[in-house]
Amino acid sequence: MAKIEEVKAMVEAGKAKLVPGLVQEALDEGSAAKEILQAMVDSMGVVGDKFSTGEIFVPEMLMAAKAMAKGVDVLKPLMAGDTSSSLGTCIIGTVAGDLHDIGKNLVSMMIESAGFTVVDLGVDVAHEKWIEAIKENQNVTLVACSGLLTTTMPALKDAVQTVKSSGLTGFKVLVGGAPITQQFADEINADGFAPDAGSAAVKAAELVKSL
Amino acid sequence: MLNGGKPEFAPLLYELYKVCMLATNNTDQPWQGGKDPFGVNWVATAEGVIPESGKILFDDIADWKKYVKFPDVDSLGIEQMAQIELADFTDEKRKEQPVAVFNACGLFERMAAFMGFENTLCALIEDPDSCNEFFEAMADYKIACINRYIDVYKPDVIIYFDDFATARGLFMSPKTYREVIKPHHKRIIEAVTSRGVIFNQHTCGKCEDIIEDYVEMGIKIWDAAQVCNDLEGILTKYHGRLIVEGGWDTSGPASYIGAPVEAIIEETKRCAEQYGKKGNFILFPVLMNEKGHAFMTGDERIPALMKTWHEVNKL
Repeated sequence: MAKIEEVKAMVEAGKAKLVPGLVQEALDEGSAAKEILQAMVDSMGVVGDKFSTGEIFVPEMLMAAKAMAKGVDVLKPLMAGDTSSSLGTCIIGTVAGDLHDIGKNLVSMMIESAGFTVVDLGVDVAHEKWIEAIKENQNVTLVACSGLLTTTMPALKDAVQTVKSSGLTGFKVLVGGAPITQQFADEINADGFAPDAGSAAVKAAELVKSL
Repeated sequence: MLNGGKPEFAPLLYELYKVCMLATNNTDQPWQGGKDPFGVNWVATAEGVIPESGKILFDDIADWKKYVKFPDVDSLGIEQMAQIELADFTDEKRKEQPVAVFNACGLFERMAAFMGFENTLCALIEDPDSCNEFFEAMADYKIACINRYIDVYKPDVIIYFDDFATARGLFMSPKTYREVIKPHHKRIIEAVTSRGVIFNQHTCGKCEDIIEDYVEMGIKIWDAAQVCNDLEGILTKYHGRLIVEGGWDTSGPASYIGAPVEAIIEETKRCAEQYGKKGNFILFPVLMNEKGHAFMTGDERIPALMKTWHEVNKL
């Protein structure tokens, strides 16, 4: 099996300790950094699909994301300045009043695995902070807001409205969280909704490609 | 119904029990926020307390013995909490209303409180041996606390909280739950049921994949049973063996802040029709307002809900 195929398989299997060595071996074998990165992104797509269909669970997905992150660490120095394979920057956080980060962290990892540069604003993000982050970061293509509590659904609506009426352009707004539905996402005028972390990564890439 | 008899009506959670929740405030997690006896800082939100985001005690479960110091159960004031909560609760009242004592932060949630969810979930499959060791020691602590609760509160029901699931399914595979958590969970359940106390398991989310395990281990009531599960199927399959406490569509319009009374009445009637009529059902409505849970913070829509329920809950 070519090393790059082994990288793919080990990312999928969540073998975080093995992936960096295999990535290095793939480079030594002559594979380009960009090619290896794409192979890992493809693996994470498979992982996301398996999660969405219930074939694997959160721990397996986390381990795969962790394995990919270790592989990316090896590639980073070789890809400095190369933005051709990036989907842009994603600003992510939970909306004002929401202190829960479990879903947000998972989505953040999956979105990063899909090829975004992620700027994580953390939890309880005030409306003006979203705007500041869009202005402060380059090539923001996606704003991902989560509201994990029913009580913060109005804050999610406010966050989306604030971002969309700011006059800033060039990005899409993705929403999610336990009480959020496609219907609610439509009501608050979000560009996209995802029910879980695996489909969030797919939706994120789809939204950005339509920009 | 709690004793296995045929109920005349489906009860409403808030009218059913004499709820006692002060002891777990001292032994597990402070309801108002602040440090728990293990040193984890909890932050109060409108929907309950959670460990302070981004603050963990350790990130590798293999290190747990370095960081986890079990408190002396005698020092936790469980007796004083019982005295406060039961001060006006006479023997006469005991005959009319079962006493239910909360025990928050179960084994899985406790590990997440120490390590964060991401580290915890990875640990379950990366280092099951250390997890087993941790859960065994933590189960000993939980059992010691619960035994003390039973001594001093003399409860009818212990409500044990551990959320294993999201709205779309279990956090971990059923296999991982069964191999790593279940043996210790089972020991806690047996400690309760062996003393003649009913075990009420609180698990939000879509956890139907392990309901069979719950029933097999002796769990009598499943609390916060949410509509992402096949509640009608579960009520039918486990009739007489499992009481379903929940039923309210917590993600639906009746739980939105500012939901109109009409939506609440409609949801109340749906629960009665869909679940109440099957028996073995306790309604657990979740009404939200700006202050949090309406039944704890007060809300003018509650009387309409209760009036409706009392009209439609007869069996």
